[in-house]
Amino acid sequence: MYSLKLSKVRKYYSRTLLFDGISFELYPGEVLAISGWNGSGKSTLLRIIAGLVQPSAGQVEMFFRDEPIQRESRRRFLGMVAPALSLYEELTALENMEFFCRVRGVSYDRGNCLNIMGRVGLTEHAHKICRNYSSGMKQRLKLVQALLHKPPLLLLDEPGCNLDTKGMKIVENIVSDQRQFGITVIASNEKREVDYANRVINLSERSHSNLAA
Amino acid sequence: MFAVTTLIAVSFSIGSFRIAEAEKPFLYAVLLWIILVFSALSGLSRSFVKEEEAGTMDVLRLSARPRAVFLGKLFFNLTLLGALELIIVPLFILVMKYKIEFPGFFAAMLISAGLGLGAGTTIVAAMIAQASARGALFSALSFPLLLPLMITAIKGCERAAVGIDTAGWPEVRIAIAYVVIMVVMSLFLFPLIWEE
Repeated sequence: MYSLKLSKVRKYYSRTLLFDGISFELYPGEVLAISGWNGSGKSTLLRIIAGLVQPSAGQVEMFFRDEPIQRESRRRFLGMVAPALSLYEELTALENMEFFCRVRGVSYDRGNCLNIMGRVGLTEHAHKICRNYSSGMKQRLKLVQALLHKPPLLLLDEPGCNLDTKGMKIVENIVSDQRQFGITVIASNEKREVDYANRVINLSERSHSNLAA
Repeated sequence: MFAVTTLIAVSFSIGSFRIAEAEKPFLYAVLLWIILVFSALSGLSRSFVKEEEAGTMDVLRLSARPRAVFLGKLFFNLTLLGALELIIVPLFILVMKYKIEFPGFFAAMLISAGLGLGAGTTIVAAMIAQASARGALFSALSFPLLLPLMITAIKGCERAAVGIDTAGWPEVRIAIAYVVIMVVMSLFLFPLIWEE
């Protein structure tokens, strides 16, 4: 069983304090929403959890059966979707998926890839070069990339970005499926996306509501 | 393209007749390595910058082991350098009528120094990928790092052209030592650069 623990996480940008004292623990089945005004640090907190950015203070730990997972090994256990993350535009969707499977050390299963692409409605576009994708299709493909290795920790930064109503429903289904076995953290201000969560942090208010230590 | 343009410019302006016979081995070695190094620098600096500009750097950070990324980029840069040497060196020899007494030593020098050039520029390219003044920083960091290698490569090519006793191939051994030091150091340093 996996768990995620943040202890007194603080982040400064230059001399500006972005947030301080962020502490929580999450267990499989839980969905946490991080909301707040633009520039409040939602995406930064998600990047800190992913290990892409170092916190100024505090700790981010991930555990498997109470054993800590090393930072460098964490990539195998997390999937992330964010507006700043892009896939290789010169490759087709399937080639992208094959590449990410191989660099992650996961065996590439074409059928599984097509199955996940089917879940987000991209099966018929699997062989198209990503450069020709619309922004909504690219967002769907990012979801596929994040789900490929069935990560126990799913980080979604504005997951509904560029998605239509059908796409939003897909995100809802993904979060619902993830609830069966893993942890989900969503950074968003969209009410619909925040409503997926059972716990919420509002970084603008610097107050943590509904958080059990 | 940069390499071919430079080579043509050099051959037109200097040619093979304006240089005294005794000066040719040294000057040709200098010219050859100037063309190779500057052509390599213009292309190899892009290996990580391209990922940063395309926004794929973070997704790669999330998916791949840092050392695998470094070795992948190194392999790509070495392939690029190999192709560059395969095109430029025969052209240079042909256009400048470059006589080489010890072709084996000359080839070993090109290969070993090429590996060193690739290893040195790959780690510098990783360092500057997130900086704002990338071009200037790449040159500023690369030149001191590549200077010992360039001096060794020029000396080695000169000796191969003149036909001075090359027993033990000292310049090749220095270049190989440079490659080993640079790759080992990069394998330790790269994860730190890569993580933040």
